[in-house]
This record gives sequence, structure tokens and C-alpha cells, in this order.
Amino acid sequence: MAKLEIEGRVFDVDGDGFLSDPSEWNEEVAALIAKSDGIDQLNEKHWAILKIIRDNFEKEGNAPMIRKICQETGIKLREIYDLFPLGPARGACRVAGLPKPDGCV
Amino acid sequence: MVTQKIDIKKPLEILSRGDDSKLETNMNACVKCGLCAESCMYYLAFKEAQYVPGAKAELVSSIYRRYNTLAGKVAPALFNAKELNQEMAEKMVDMLFGACTMCGRCVKHCSIGVDIPYIVRKGREMLAAMNMVPATLQSTVDAALNTGNNMAIPQEEFIDTIKWMEEELIDEMEDVNARIPLDETDKSVFYTLNPREPKFFPLSISAIAKVFYAAKESWTISSKYYDVTNYGFFNGNNDQAAQIAGYLHDEIHKLRGKKLVLGECGHGSRATRWEGPGYLKKKFDFETITVVEVIASYIREGKITLDKSLNSSKVTIHDPCNLVRNGGLYSEIRFVVKSSVSDLQEMNPYGEDNFCCGGGGGALAMSEYNERRIKIGAIKAQQIAKSGAKVVITPCHNCVDQLQQLNHTYKLGVKIMTIAEIVADALVINKQ
Ligand code: SF4
Ligand code: SF4
Repeated sequence: MAKLEIEGRVFDVDGDGFLSDPSEWNEEVAALIAKSDGIDQLNEKHWAILKIIRDNFEKEGNAPMIRKICQETGIKLREIYDLFPLGPARGACRVAGLPKPDGCV
Repeated sequence: MVTQKIDIKKPLEILSRGDDSKLETNMNACVKCGLCAESCMYYLAFKEAQYVPGAKAELVSSIYRRYNTLAGKVAPALFNAKELNQEMAEKMVDMLFGACTMCGRCVKHCSIGVDIPYIVRKGREMLAAMNMVPATLQSTVDAALNTGNNMAIPQEEFIDTIKWMEEELIDEMEDVNARIPLDETDKSVFYTLNPREPKFFPLSISAIAKVFYAAKESWTISSKYYDVTNYGFFNGNNDQAAQIAGYLHDEIHKLRGKKLVLGECGHGSRATRWEGPGYLKKKFDFETITVVEVIASYIREGKITLDKSLNSSKVTIHDPCNLVRNGGLYSEIRFVVKSSVSDLQEMNPYGEDNFCCGGGGGALAMSEYNERRIKIGAIKAQQIAKSGAKVVITPCHNCVDQLQQLNHTYKLGVKIMTIAEIVADALVINKQ
């Protein structure tokens, strides 16, 4: 298991930097992970996206389709890629404290 | 160290079948000249002897000698013949799964052309027979086996996504015929996708749909079996690879498609086109072709019109190993890209000698080796930076993801695009 240190806080993470224990997640943790990705301040849109990802994970056990994120937040697809430069998986899902999705991401 | 008893019968059988002359000649051919060292990104990044390609192949060959040659049986130390035990198996996992993208660059640089990734793949088969595939890689294979796609996307969610992309395309084209047809029978093109497209990056789906629309192609996508990837090629389990290959094979028959068109995926193209008939032990009775070749044929036959000036930024091409060095698509990729952009700057080296993105061989799925993957990727990042390009084009979604991460980590400030996306941006649509 790897460790991720951000501003003095230490988290257990997988090799890709995703939280090993998703229940360790809270808004403060999200802000810290986002910072380590170069997002200094999470804005309203970031939070709207994170909330849907987190809800889906808690209900279904996985990340939602990008369609669901777009349609439920009303945020355009291209804007999501701008908001999370590492993309919905390595970017948004990681900040939302999910385990890394399988596949080519 | 705890030494567990491991079952070595099955893995050793893989080396002693006696019906694989390619394996035996390659395992016996290496002359230990070390010329392959500098061709490998792992060796270049870490400068340790264990990362020399020949040394990785030697792990497998040394076991072969121990159990299959007289010299190795009577004087193992003299002939570097090694026992297969827990320690050796762990070393193999680390080197053959964790330190080889099976890119094949070393083969071109070996003085005698030893097929190192072929031997590495055999080593992976041995590890698969011992249930020692890294968990993250196996979980990607399991998702494909259990659901038909490697991200376990439920069918209804896939359909909703495609419908959504279709509505947007119809709006953009202002034409109700700009469709993304699902599960239609008797179409000439049966198209396939990488599941990360519907899950997270569907713009490449609208891009190819736009190209098919412009070319007036008759095409469809299955809503159940559309996954072009086959991670069974990487985990070394041939039964699982066959089961996954069988999904596309059976589905194209069910929908009576004419041509299996492989979406932009390097290993998936290779695993389906070259390895698939072998896994399934039958010749395909349908044409199998990559989407890059299909687009090239549209351009040649005048079925689509492109305006290069619509893509005026400087672009470079990242050649996916399984499509170029191991797939023969060098010229087709150049032809399509040169028809779509006005300023192409090649990397150095490029084409058949190109460096892997660093995420091949299943590396992208294996979190266990993330750090190595990003470190070897520095070589690719430097190549991109030196090209001065603002856009990197690559016909492989796996490469796209790795390049995206390199872009972020090494602050390259480039845009990564697939071939369908760059072609779609250059399209001149003649309204009928
Ligand atoms: S196939 Fe590629 S990664 Fe593997 S040993 Fe050869 S050069 Fe290195
Ligand atoms: S270049 Fe070929 S022959 Fe020489 S050490 Fe490497 S694999 Fe062996």
C-alpha cells in the first residue's frame, strides 16, 4: 500500500493515488486531493460533479456514467474536462474518494 | 522470508509442450550481447541490469533450461538454469508484469531479433497458471468476462449514453439521419469501442459517428458486445482471452455484420485481428479491419472531404506499438493525419522505432506499478516537448490516457486527440 502526503495529512492510497478506504473521504479530504492535482479552489461546479459521483458510488458501488454527470448537473461535457484536467476518472473520481475504475483509465 | 510451496506443474508444462518452435528457438537464441538494453524505456529510466530486455527473457529461459535440458539438469549453476520457486515467481511478476509493456522495441534493436515480448507473454502465461496475475489487471479481465465490457457498464446505461450522443449529433448536423445505430442487422460495418468512451470520454464516439455519417456508411454498434479491448492478451490466460474474443465473434454473426471494424485501440486490434483466430482456433469468416484503414479508404475513394486548414495547430503523432511496430499501420496513419492537418512534426524517434507511451502491456490498469509507468513516461514526455507540437494524435485510447497523465505530470500543455476526432474536425459536410 502506498502513502499520499498532502499538507501534513497522510492517506493510504493505491499505486495510482486513489484512497484505499473510501470511507475516509470528506469534503476537506476532497479539497486536499484536488490541491495535489493543481486545483487550488473547488468551486460550485466541482462540488456538483463530486456530489453526483459520490452519491452514485454510495448507492451503486461505482462511478456514474459521464452522461449522468452532465445531465444531472447541466454542465457541458467539455467543461467537465476543463474543470478536472485529469479527466472524470483520474481527476474527478479520485477527488471524490472512489477506488480507481477498471479499464484503460 | 516465508517460502510457500507453489504448484509448478502447470507453469512448467507451458515450457515443455514441445509444439512451440518459436518459443524454443527464441529462448535459445540470446547471445547476451546487451545491445537491447538502451532500446527499453525501463532500462533507460532506471539503468539497472534487471531491466535489460534480454534479462527479462532470461528469467523464463533459465527455468526452461533447468527442466528441459540435460546441461541445466546436471549442472544448473554452470548454465544459469534456475528453479521455479516462490522467489523466482515473484521476481517474474515484478519484471514480466511490472516492467515490460510488451512494446517490442527491443526486438528491432536485438542483434538477432529475439522476440522478447513473446517470451514475456509466455512467462505471463506461466504466472496466470499459478494465479499470480496482479489483482488490478485481473479485475479488468473479470469485468469483461462477466459483463461483456471491461468497465462493467450496464447495457441500459450504455444505450442511454449512445442515445444522448445521437441527439447531440442530430442537433449539430441538423439532420435526423445523423444517427448512431444500435443493434441493427445486416450492416456493412460492425463498429467497436473502448468502454472508456461511453463511460467517460464519449466525444470520440460522436466524432466517428460524424465520419460515418459523412461517408454515408451503413453501420451499427451492438449494445451488449462492443468492447474492442481484450486484456486476456495481457494477463496471459488464454482461456479467458478466447472467451472475450468469442464475444465479438459471436455478436457480429448474430447481427449479420459484414466487417468487424476495430475502434482505436492498439492491443485490442492486435488481440482481435492477429491473435483472435488463434485463441478461438478458427478462421474468421468476416473481414476484420481497423477504423484507421476504413477512414483512409473514405479519403482515397472521395467518400469524405477534408479541409486541412481547419486543423492548423502543429501536431505530432504517437505511434501505438501494437498498431505500428507490431501492426503495419505506419503509412495509413500518416496518410489520414496528413489529409487532416496542415502542420505535422514527427517525434524523434517515430514510426516503427517509436517509444511506447509507457502504458502498454496492461500497465495502465496495474496500479501496483503506477510509479514506474509515470517514470518511464518521462521519455515520451520529452519527445513530445521537443516536437514543439500543440496536439498529439494517437489512434489508441489506452495511449490517450497515459499521454493525458504525462501531459499533466510533466506540464506539457498539449491536447491529446484520437484520429477520429482530428478527422471529424477537418470534415466538410456536404448537406444532401
Ligand atoms: S518489449 Fe518493450 S518494455 Fe518489454 S523489454 Fe522490450 S523494450 Fe522493454
Ligand atoms: S540484443 Fe538480443 S541477443 Fe543481445 S542480449 Fe538482447 S536479447 Fe540477447
